[in-house]
Amino acid sequence: MKLWDYLKDRLWFFLIAAISLGLMLLFLTAFRVSGQLTATICVIFGLFLIAEETAGFFRKKRFYDDMQGKLDGLDKKYLIHEMLKRPDFLDGQIMYDGFCIANKSMCENVSAYKRTADDFREFIEMWVHEIKLPVASLQLMAHNHCDELGEKFQEQLSRIDGYTDQVLYYARSENAEKDYIIKETALKRTVANVAMKNRETAQLCGASIETEGLGLSVMTDGKWLEFILGQLMANSLKYTVEGREPVIRISAEDLPDRVLLRFRDNGTGICEADLPRIFDKSFTGENGRTYAKSTGMGLYIVKNLCDRLGHSITAASEKDKYTEFTISFAKNQFYKMI
Amino acid sequence: MSKIYIVEDDRSIREELAELLRNSGYEAECLTDFANSRAEVLGANADLILMDINIPNLNGEQLLKEIRKETDTPVIMVTSRTSETDEVLSMSYGADDYITKPYNPTILLLRISAVLKRSAAAVSVQTYNGLQVNDAKGSLSDGSREMTLTKNEMIIFRFMLDRKGSIVTRDELMTALWDNDEFVNDNALTVNISRLRSKLAELGCEDAIETRKKQGYILR
Repeated sequence: MKLWDYLKDRLWFFLIAAISLGLMLLFLTAFRVSGQLTATICVIFGLFLIAEETAGFFRKKRFYDDMQGKLDGLDKKYLIHEMLKRPDFLDGQIMYDGFCIANKSMCENVSAYKRTADDFREFIEMWVHEIKLPVASLQLMAHNHCDELGEKFQEQLSRIDGYTDQVLYYARSENAEKDYIIKETALKRTVANVAMKNRETAQLCGASIETEGLGLSVMTDGKWLEFILGQLMANSLKYTVEGREPVIRISAEDLPDRVLLRFRDNGTGICEADLPRIFDKSFTGENGRTYAKSTGMGLYIVKNLCDRLGHSITAASEKDKYTEFTISFAKNQFYKMI
Repeated sequence: MSKIYIVEDDRSIREELAELLRNSGYEAECLTDFANSRAEVLGANADLILMDINIPNLNGEQLLKEIRKETDTPVIMVTSRTSETDEVLSMSYGADDYITKPYNPTILLLRISAVLKRSAAAVSVQTYNGLQVNDAKGSLSDGSREMTLTKNEMIIFRFMLDRKGSIVTRDELMTALWDNDEFVNDNALTVNISRLRSKLAELGCEDAIETRKKQGYILR
C-alpha cells in the first residue's frame, strides 16, 4: 500500500477536515480570540490529524501488504483467508469475515460439482462394464452362428469395444483419484495383447507388425499401457497410404536410466504445423479433415494417461513418410526391490 | 474329453459359451444355482473352470479363494472388469489366466487349451501318421529322417493337429500365430502353409493338408 494512494483515498476526510478548520478559524476570528491561541489550536489540530492518519495508514498497510505478498506467493489463491490473521480494524474484519463465508460457500459448490462428476464417472465405469456383456455375447454368437458375416461382425464389434474403452479411459484420465497400479510389466505381453485386439483391422488393410527388443520390462500399469498402445495402433491403421503396405514397427531400447518404447508406422504422417498440437483436446488437424471421422480425443487421452503414470511421450513425423511416437519409462530400482 | 465348468450369470453369454465349447470338442457344464456356488463348483469335478467376477452372492474372486482351499483345478477368470487391480488380485488368489470381455472366441479356446496342456502331465511328443512331433526341438521325424520346422510352421501344424480332421479357418490360424507374437500378414500365412505342405510331403505325407475353398484347411 502506497502512502500517496492512501492519501488520495482519504481525500474526502481531508476536505472535511479543511472545511472544519476553516469554520473554526472563522469563528475564532469572529470571537476575537488572540492570534497565539488560534495558532496553538491549529497546531494541535494539525498534529492530531497527522498522528491519527499515520496510525491508520500503518495499521492497514501492515495487513494489506501481508495479504498482497501472500497472494503473490500462493498458487491456490482462493485459500488466502486461511493464511491471514483476522485484522484489528473494523472494515478489515468485515471483509475478512466476508472472505470466510464466500470461501465456505465456494467449497460447498465445488464439492457438489465434484460429487456430480464422481457419480458420473462411477456410472460410466459401471455402464462400460455392462455394455461389454452384450458385446461379448454378440461376439460369441457371431462366432457360433454366422460363417460369412462372422468376420465382419467381429470387426464392427471390436470397433464398439474400442470406442467404449475410449470413454472408460477418458473418465479415468480426468479423475484425480489414483486407480492404477504401477508394477513391472512385460512389454512383450502388452504389445501382443494390443496386436491381438487390432488383428481384424490390421488384416483387412494387410498390415504387418514388426517388433524388436521387446524382452524388456517397464514400470507401468499394464492395462493403461495397453490402451495407450491400442490408440496409437488404431491411428496407424487408420492413416495409411494407399498402395503402400502398412508396416508398424514397435521397438524398445534399454538406456541406463530409462526404457524407450518406439512406435513407428509408415503412414500419412502429420504435417509440421499440426505436430505440436496433436496432443491437444479435440484437435483434429489436417489428417482429421481429410480422413473421415476424427474426434481428436485419442491422443489427448493418451497424453493424459502418460502424464498420470509419469511417462513422457513425444511424436516425430514427416508428411507422407512416417510417424513415430516415443514413450519413455523411468527406471526405479526402488520398485524392483518390492 | 475335458470338462469345462462355466460360472457366468449372463444367460445369453453362458449359453453361447457352452455352445462354443461343445463345438470345439469340450464337455461344458454351467452353474445355475448361484446360492450354493461353492458346493456346486466343487461338486462338478471339472478339468477347468471359466469364472466371471461379477456374479451373485460370492463374487468371483471370493469364490476362487474358496475353491483354491480345496482343489488345484485350473481357473481362467473371464470378466468385463478391466483394471489392473482386478487382474493382480485374481492372479494372487490363484487364477491361471485372466481374459477380459469381450474376447475373441478363438483366443479363449487357445488359452483354454494352453492351460489344460499345462495342467495335464506334459506330453511333449505326439504322433501324426507315424511322424513324431517334438515340440521342444520344433521338429518332425519318421524315425530315420528329421525335418526342422520354423516357429510359424510349428504353430500352424500344432494348431491343425489339435483339430485334426475338422476345418481350420485362416482366421483361426492367424489368431494362433498372433497369439504367439508372430504378427504376420495374409501373404506370409499362405507362404508358411505351402512350405509346411512341402516339408510334410518330403516326409512322405503327400496332401496332408487339404484346402477347402472359402473355408480353410483340413489336416487329414
